[in-house]
Amino acid sequence: MASMEFTEWIRARSDEQLRELVSARPELITPVPAHLEGLAARAGSPSAIGRALDRLDRFTLAVVETLAVQDGPSPRETLADLVGRALAAGEPEPALGAALDRLRDLALVYGPDDALDLAPGVRKALDDPAGLGPPVADVFRHHPPEQLDEMADDIAPGTTGTGKERLAAALAEPAKLLEEVSGEARAALDQLAWGPATGRVPNARREVRVGSARSPIEQLLARGLLAATGEESVTLPREVGLHLRGGRVHRDLPAAPPALEGTARDQELADRTAAGQAFAFVRVVEELCERWSFEPPGVLRTGGLGVRDMKRLTTELDVPEWVAALAVEVAHAAGLVAQGGGVDGEWLPTTGYDLWRVRSTADRWVTLALTWLHMDRVPGLVGERDERDRPLNALHPDLRRTAAPVVRAAALGVLASAPGLAPSRASVLDRMAWQQPRRRGPLREQLVEFALREAEQVGVTGLGVLSGHGRALMASAGIGPGAEESTRTRAGKAAGSKGTKGAAAKAAVAVDPAAVLAPLLPEPVDHVLLQADLTAVAPGPLTSELNRWMTLAADVESKGGATVYRFSDASVRRALDAGQGADELLAALERHSATPVPQALSYLVADVARRHGRIRVGTAGAYIRCDDPALLDQITADRRSASLRLRRLAPTVIASRTSRAALVDSLRAMGYAPVAESLDGDVIVSRLDGRRSEGPAQTRSVPASNGLDPEVAAAAVRALRAGDAAHLARREPVAAPDGAIPRGPATSTITALQDAIKQGVRVWIGYLDSQGNATSRILEPARMEGGYLTAYDETRAAVHRFALHRITGVAGLS
Amino acid sequence: MSVNDGPLIVQSDKTLLLEVDHEKADECRKAIAPFAELERAPEHVHTYRVTPLALWNARAAGHDAEQVVDALISHSRYPVPHALLVDVAETMARYGRLRLEKDPVHGLILTSSDRAVLEEVLRSKKIQPMLGERLGADSVVVHPSDRGNVKQALLKLGWPAEDLAGYVDGEHHPIDLAQDGWSLRPYQQEAADAFWHGGSGVVVLPCGAGKTIVGAAAMAHARATTLILVTNTVSAHQWKQELIKRTSLTEDEIGEYSGSKKEIRPVTIATYQVMTTRRKGVYSHLELFDARDWGLIVYDEVHLLPAPIFRMTADLQARRRIGLTATLVREDGREGDVFSLIGPKRYDAPWKEMENQGWIAPADCVEVRVTLTDEERLAYAMAESEERYRFCATTPSKTRVTEALVRRHLGEQVLVIGQYIDQLDELGEHLNAPVIKGETRVKERERLYQAFRDKEIQVLVVSKVANFSIDLPEAAVAIQVSGTFGSRQEEAQRLGRVLRPKADGGGARFYTVVSRDTVDQEFAAHRQRFLAEQGYAYQIIDADDVLGGV
Repeated sequence: MASMEFTEWIRARSDEQLRELVSARPELITPVPAHLEGLAARAGSPSAIGRALDRLDRFTLAVVETLAVQDGPSPRETLADLVGRALAAGEPEPALGAALDRLRDLALVYGPDDALDLAPGVRKALDDPAGLGPPVADVFRHHPPEQLDEMADDIAPGTTGTGKERLAAALAEPAKLLEEVSGEARAALDQLAWGPATGRVPNARREVRVGSARSPIEQLLARGLLAATGEESVTLPREVGLHLRGGRVHRDLPAAPPALEGTARDQELADRTAAGQAFAFVRVVEELCERWSFEPPGVLRTGGLGVRDMKRLTTELDVPEWVAALAVEVAHAAGLVAQGGGVDGEWLPTTGYDLWRVRSTADRWVTLALTWLHMDRVPGLVGERDERDRPLNALHPDLRRTAAPVVRAAALGVLASAPGLAPSRASVLDRMAWQQPRRRGPLREQLVEFALREAEQVGVTGLGVLSGHGRALMASAGIGPGAEESTRTRAGKAAGSKGTKGAAAKAAVAVDPAAVLAPLLPEPVDHVLLQADLTAVAPGPLTSELNRWMTLAADVESKGGATVYRFSDASVRRALDAGQGADELLAALERHSATPVPQALSYLVADVARRHGRIRVGTAGAYIRCDDPALLDQITADRRSASLRLRRLAPTVIASRTSRAALVDSLRAMGYAPVAESLDGDVIVSRLDGRRSEGPAQTRSVPASNGLDPEVAAAAVRALRAGDAAHLARREPVAAPDGAIPRGPATSTITALQDAIKQGVRVWIGYLDSQGNATSRILEPARMEGGYLTAYDETRAAVHRFALHRITGVAGLS
Repeated sequence: MSVNDGPLIVQSDKTLLLEVDHEKADECRKAIAPFAELERAPEHVHTYRVTPLALWNARAAGHDAEQVVDALISHSRYPVPHALLVDVAETMARYGRLRLEKDPVHGLILTSSDRAVLEEVLRSKKIQPMLGERLGADSVVVHPSDRGNVKQALLKLGWPAEDLAGYVDGEHHPIDLAQDGWSLRPYQQEAADAFWHGGSGVVVLPCGAGKTIVGAAAMAHARATTLILVTNTVSAHQWKQELIKRTSLTEDEIGEYSGSKKEIRPVTIATYQVMTTRRKGVYSHLELFDARDWGLIVYDEVHLLPAPIFRMTADLQARRRIGLTATLVREDGREGDVFSLIGPKRYDAPWKEMENQGWIAPADCVEVRVTLTDEERLAYAMAESEERYRFCATTPSKTRVTEALVRRHLGEQVLVIGQYIDQLDELGEHLNAPVIKGETRVKERERLYQAFRDKEIQVLVVSKVANFSIDLPEAAVAIQVSGTFGSRQEEAQRLGRVLRPKADGGGARFYTVVSRDTVDQEFAAHRQRFLAEQGYAYQIIDADDVLGGV
């Protein structure tokens, strides 16, 4: 059994070879199988083989295909011969040797050189190797045995065995049969020879015999040179196909990858351009986060960023939409922004952003670029539509494509193989098609296109050439220029390599990308140029301390390689508010400026400082005022007043942190006779009876007096009644008093109501309701504002608002 | 490998910062001037802006994207972001994809080297009505009367057309420069030549740099009947005098077409005002444009060109047009219309350089801050918001300071400029100086100007009527007491009054009297910014220094 032999072969591999195998095919050890038999079984599973085949380049895949069309194990010479015939140019070796090494490493091919075979399952996984149809034994599988017998009788009379066996034997050497058919029929076969092996004809399953065959197709069908594989499809059997190909399995097989075509660029210029772009990209991301710190866009219900927010961002950042989308996606993938905020969610910068922000530009770039390299999201799809014709938004979950990071790495790998060259897009696609022929398709081409343009935007490439820092970035990400490129770089592998290849690549180019990038970036400067138009130009990124100071004292007007700041009233005031003194400010300007401080600027600082702080605002709970400063001196000097935290604001005013009530009480306790004052300066008298809630506007005052005079007593009783009524759980409507509805001029109405509110008394009003009916109510007025009176309506037992203009009159209730 | 040591820093908002003290600054300035507009020119770092219009101006002048990119890369101190370079190249490539050409059979046609662009343009609803029959895949007939409108509309779409349809020669008329005792300055010659080679376009020269002479030189190139459009009658008179003095033209050959006179002669000078006068909703003087077969149209002070003139100009695209201005900045933002209707910028020289070469007088700008008295402050706080500016701009405190300033410059020619007539009258009284305002007759104005030029009068109080085009070469000091809410353009004009070269070669002084802590000060901040950006020394002093320290 082939599988047992394969298992044994696996078992015989050295540890190093097995390490090589599992590191090249990591899916075989997730999870780690129990034993090597398990490993072998897993290596033979269709999905594992599919993945392994996907990694093969065009030539190595061709070797597999060549083996696949052999019936069983083949000696290496046969293989070399077949491959050699297929080669467009050059000798099969050493490419074949390298390919076989790799295939053995991947456990796709096993066995000694004189009996090479494909691992179990590989043949099955290759549907139509090299565009060849299935062998005779398979292709006639669905034909009825009688029909096969008839066909065998026609083309191989006098042989024995089943129809299928006789047919197979006859078709294995189809030269004679081919001679029998007409030229047109032969031309039809030639069309299918190099694949695809299937063609379409109407009524393919017609019954034809060699004798009765008329048309070219019928001649072919009758002889089994074509097999009907459906109602309207015919397939060229593999044996016939191979014969037509003249013994070659492939036509024009390239042993080496296609050369890259493009424009040669000066590497130094490319590096500088890429660095400029890297700087710009970092800045775009930073600006994005800064903007979102203050105006975060909402999170869509579907989890993305709204189209309108995207548009706005595009305008604000002044970049094309796809660049804005890229910045948003990278910022998100790097953890600089995340969903947060209220119930609906907002896109907000994270604390990670704060940490990122303080690092050096080069470090910040490395974070972003690595994120971009690894992220499985495709910002390029933003703005396109999904299969249900809904627009794809930035940050939407549907933007994930597992292939994205692989394609990015592969595309950059191609660029890495050609230093100083800006290859054309078509040429990169050609190369990638050679490297991984099984991974093709529209999505892949699109991903490559995105990868190339994004690489330029992020600053990994410059003018289409991979930059020095881009190369270092790839190395640090474990993507060596040869990781995707198999055969070429592996020639010298056997000579004493240790560990896995990825690690070797890492060790070889362990250069910090930030260190490569940093010298290309503008160096931090420690001075600015001050100008008479009140601007300051920092001719490069500022040192962080100076940057903070400048951002405090001036507004940023333009960013880029340099920063332009503008001083204004507001910015200088901001600096003064932050505790800087005018002299300090001017001294700092002088210290940091490479040029003399312009007169206009120092005047501005002095002018703002002159006005700054002339008006002071503070908080006080209550105040004490008194026309006699001596009395206030006495209070402040009194030890007992210490707890009141008094502060003399002016000779006749003291402010206190405590409340008015507490202040009054304390002063009384100290033996003074204070009176409380309302906001308007009116004197108010505290209630004589039980405490009430301290409503701000509802201070009820009556003229101050000594002793209990009858009016006060009456007021007290009324208040008691009102309080009592308010406390009743159930409130009964009160019948309106008989008699005429009160009427009075508007001003007197308002005055009367104000008095009632102040004194907390009930009143009887005449009121025109919304239907215009004259009614009368008994109210306990609460407050009056905006043309309305809010009051407890005892007639209706509820709180109502009454339009003042509808109140026809007010009368006191005595 | 380290960063370049260039004088230029390219900002991501497409501004270019040029460090002027850098040894390669001049070289760099020459390289970037064609495609970037000088925006600010303070003492250390000049700011240029790369706008689509500027790039298209450069294209029109024959520069290509490669040159622009090369200039940026080779002078830039830091790496230039690739996106910006791509943007520059793409923007520049937009100019000239579409061309207006003359076709022997179909007259005016629009042709394209890029079919997709033509298709895009043809789909625009704005443009469709101006176009006629489609001629094959790459061209389409344009109604000749819509030549200007098509150009305007195409610019708005971002595909500015190159106008190669040529010009009519117009009626021939001999005009020569009479260079007796004077000669064209090199830059005037360059400006006139640049215009002539470009066909039509705008020449940007600072006030006092002799724009009239550039106009005369352009006329000498055209040697054809010429229509000159100027801002007002006084300026029309000055043009006339200057033309008689500088060219072979005689008084009889020059006509004035204004409110009072309606002469149409081989060279006719008309005011914007008369051209835009409407009677019963109709522009009644439009026939002037067709009165003769004009070979050249001169637009003085293009940045003030009123909207109706733009519309009229759209119909005059077959005639050569030269625009003269001190600034391309328009406060209404219609720079694009100037580009498409008058033409691209053909010549530009920064003020400061002209000053360094001695063609215009250096100026010293001083802002005098007046502290209001307590009563004035109270009154100001209580003034209605629309009255506030007027109040603080015309306080009596200002009058006192102005008087002190005039005293300080006793013996020099002083102009006092203001906005409010009452204030000017009062100043005139206090200073014992004549006042020129809107109601002053033209004759009287000219008499006063002449007297001022002859130094018979030393102090002249003028309202905003004097803002434009009045040639007062001997004004050494200008005192501005109130203005139009901080208009930058007004500032340029007023400064222009004192920038003419003085006979004694001395510098000029430009005072602005400002009330402290009021809106006046806010407006002054705009002015200060403008002047400082233009590179003038700007100083702020307190009124007490003036009042006390003479």
